Parts: sequence; C-alpha cells; structure tokens
Amino acid sequence: MSINKFMKGAVTGWMTSHGEHSDIVMSTRIRLARNLRGFRFPIAFTADEAEKVDSQVSAALLTSDEKGYAYMKMSELPGLERQVLIEKHLVSPQLTDVKRHGAVILSEDETLSIMLNEEDHIRIQCIYPGFQLENAYDHADSVDNYLENKLPYAFDEDFGYLTSCPSNTGTGMRASVMMHLPALTITKQIERIIPAIARLGMIVRGSYGEGSEAPGNIYQVSNQTTLGKPEKEILSDLKNVALRLIAHERRSRELLLSKSRVALENKLFRSLGIISYARLLPSGEAARCLSDVRLGIDLGIIEDVDMSILNELMIFMQPGFLQQYAEADLTAEERDIFRADLFRERLRSEQQTNENNKEN
Amino acid sequence: MLCDNCKERPASVIFTQEGMGGSAERHLCEKCAFQTQVFHFDPSQEPLSIQQFLSHWFSGSESIQPFQQSRDSMPDGPICPDCKLTFRKFLDIGKFGCPTCYDTFRGQLPRVFSKLHNGHTTHVGKIPDSFNERFALKKKVEEIRSKMQEAIEMERFEDAAALRDEANALKERLAECGNGGDGSDVN
Ligand SMILES: [Zn+2]
Ligand SMILES: [Zn+2]
Repeated sequence: MSINKFMKGAVTGWMTSHGEHSDIVMSTRIRLARNLRGFRFPIAFTADEAEKVDSQVSAALLTSDEKGYAYMKMSELPGLERQVLIEKHLVSPQLTDVKRHGAVILSEDETLSIMLNEEDHIRIQCIYPGFQLENAYDHADSVDNYLENKLPYAFDEDFGYLTSCPSNTGTGMRASVMMHLPALTITKQIERIIPAIARLGMIVRGSYGEGSEAPGNIYQVSNQTTLGKPEKEILSDLKNVALRLIAHERRSRELLLSKSRVALENKLFRSLGIISYARLLPSGEAARCLSDVRLGIDLGIIEDVDMSILNELMIFMQPGFLQQYAEADLTAEERDIFRADLFRERLRSEQQTNENNKEN
Repeated sequence: MLCDNCKERPASVIFTQEGMGGSAERHLCEKCAFQTQVFHFDPSQEPLSIQQFLSHWFSGSESIQPFQQSRDSMPDGPICPDCKLTFRKFLDIGKFGCPTCYDTFRGQLPRVFSKLHNGHTTHVGKIPDSFNERFALKKKVEEIRSKMQEAIEMERFEDAAALRDEANALKERLAECGNGGDGSDVN
C-alpha cells in the first residue's frame, strides 16, 4: 500500500499534534465507566444479558442527533481490524475477546469511542491531541448526560457510579495524559519523580508495553483514585502534576542542550540516520530513535520533519498496522523489514511535501 | 498463560485447590474464577494489583472484626442474591458481579474503599440528574408524611387528607421518573 493512502486511512484525531503543550503532551484521555441497573456486570452476566445491554445502549446512541457514529461488534470483526483498533487505543485488548460480547461505537473523527460490555457495560472514552483535559472531559460528560437520560444507570448515594472493579467506584473516571519525557529519562530524574507522584494519588507508567519500561520515553500519568474527590478536583490535581512535569522536562532539555550540545546533536542526528536508512528496524530501536528525532524537532535541531511523526509512527510500527500496510501476514523478522520500509517511506514523503512547498 | 478451564482467555488469578491428594494450583481467567465454586486463593502467588491487595486484607495489622481469623477459617460472608458472589470471593477476585453486590456488602465496603482510595469511602462527584430529581422527590414525600402525622395528632383530619393526596401524587411521579435509584428493585 502506498504510504499516503495508508496514512490517510490510518491517522486518527488524537495523533495530530495540536493542543496546548503539544511538544510534550501527546494526547489526553478521559474514560468514564458506567453500568446499567438490572443487569449483572460482564464478569458474571449471561449472553442474553450482554445482548440486551448492547442493544439498549447502541439503540440510544445510534438514534441520537449525533451523526456519523459507527457500531462494530467484536465477534464480527476480522482479527487484524480488532488489532488495529487496539493499537490506535480506541478499544482495550480485553474488549476484543470475542467470547465476551464486546462492541464499540466510534465517532467519525475517532475522538470518542464507547466500549460496550468491556469490564463494565459502558465505557465512554475521549482522546484529544495535546493537553486538553477540560475539553476531553466536557465531551465525555456530554455523552454521559445524554446516555443517563435514556438509560437507568447503576448509581448509589454513598458509592456513586457502581463499577465492576472497586478501583473505579465513585466517579468511574480515569483521566490520563500521555507525555513524551526524553530529557527526564536521559537524566534519570524520572526514577525519582515517579514515586513522588504516586504519593499524590497519581500513577505514572510507560504508555506502550508492559511494566515500568517506557518505549519511546512516553509515559502516561493518570489519577489513581475515584472516590472522595469530585471530577473537577481530580482533573485539576492531574493538571497541576502534569504542568509540573512539563516545566521539569523543559528545564532538563535546556540543561542538556547547554551542557552537552554536540553530544546531544550527535545522538539525535544518528537516530534520524537510522530511521531514514535502516533496512531492519526492531521495535525497541525504532521507539528509541523516534523519541530522539522528536526531541530534535522540539529543540529546533532537526528541521523539515513534522512533529506528529512520533505520535503516528509509535502507532503504525505495531504488528497490526504493519500487516495492514504490508497487506499480508508477517513474521517477527518480516515486521522489522516492513517497519524499516514504512519509516523510510514516511520520511521520504515528508521530504517531498517540503520540496513541493518550497517550489510553490 | 491461558486459563486452565476455558483455555481461551489469559489466566489472571491463581487458586490453590484442596483435593484428596493434596493441593493443586489452578490458573484461571476472571470469568472462570467467578464461576468456580470451591477454591482457596493463594496470596503468595501472582503479584496482581487489586486481587493481591485485597487478599492481604486479612493479614494487615488494622484488620479487625469480623474476619480476623486466618483465611482458611474465614467465613464466606454475605452472599449477593443476584449474582451469588460471596464477600470472600469478592476479595479473591477483586471484582463485583453486579450492582446489588454493593448493597449486599455495604457494611464491609467502607474499609475496602478506604484502602483503595486513600482513605475515602463516599462519592462526592457527579450525580445523575434523574437521581437528583428522585432524591428530591423522596425527601419531599418524607416531609409531607411527617406533616400528615402531625395533622392527625392535632386532629386536623381535613389537612391530613389533603396532605395524603399530595403525597400520593408525588409517589406516582416518583414511580414514573425512572424505576429506581434505591437499588432494592434491581430484578
Ligand atoms: Zn477461563
Ligand atoms: Zn452481585
């Protein structure tokens, strides 16, 4: 598939680099967990209950004034398409388990995704590019208000919104910001910061992959608790923590630049060289190089490459997307080849656009 | 690792099952764990956040009544009428089975939530509009009823009758505006 055609079909709303502090915050996500009264939670419900939940929620949404909602049942979707939805962060891996009656409703621009019968009956999720906690929350909140008017929510005076997992009870809200923190990582300050943030009731973890490793130096900061604080307060606490991280990262970048400019330039340009010319590109190396190139762009060291490259290629270098790009099933080694191809093509198409722009 | 039972979903809970020939380990997915009838959870296994956290519930220094005994002699606790989850199993799995579980375990939950949510046990955020309205109506009905009692005691029977009509009209509206909110009418 040609890179332009592929990108056109694959780039989703939050991958662009708009929004405040978009040099450091890649995206903002709000998730609201909701359940319907009168049905057991997905962990315990029957296929019949699953069906009823699905049809009630989707009927309510698909008849709304909002045009362009698309409904997809996981069991009817080819495996590769399910994988691509996961890689775009539009659904969770858990939802795509075909035995679990999962479905998703997506808005046209894919900023809104509503998962049906995941761990809870309803999970409203909004992902916005850059740092936009209020906008993302307002969007999710309006969908929540709409649904709440149509359907009987499971809500309790003491415990708030009732969810399957006790860690979501209350507001049912998880707010998170995805941040690119290369300077804090290079200087190892992040190791000190993570436990400090945990004491403030927030969690920091790698946004891709498992555990504490953070491929591409991309971290996700989110609220840990959902009880005892109103939504606005959770959001403003998270916002403050994120703003402090942003300021910290900026200072560390300046420090790196002033202390070891040549060494830094050398590292960043080498990484640009690798992703421009490599013929085999394992995912770990790809993530590391992308992070360097993006840092180079942010610092004005690397020019003529769009800053959305990190958002996009971190997504597209995953197995599902690579196979869609290759239009074939790929082994792990073949994926490294196609990943290298994809990166070279992406950078070449960038060059062409720039040259065209200069001629005009 | 896949679930020992369905062999489809990833195993996320490890149970030690006591049998005739000793104990055997079973690796189950959440869904199968929920449906399994007899098991004992082994908290020394699997570093799973909430499960593990809740399983240490009993060993913590502040764990007091009524479940202070060792886990083996620990009673099942209340059982949810709608999904048959026992409190003990809730602690093992770390998930509720249905909205009614919250009513069933109401007495135990503040301690669970306090641990999970930094000492907080009650919701102070958004309330659904429909719930707000219902809540206001319920309050109003209670108010009218107490006025009615007062009127009866003072032998102002005409006033009492008028108040009763008012209360009945409100109760009808209450029934119309969504069937529920107090959790007792789940089924
Ligand atoms: Zn299973
Ligand atoms: Zn239950």
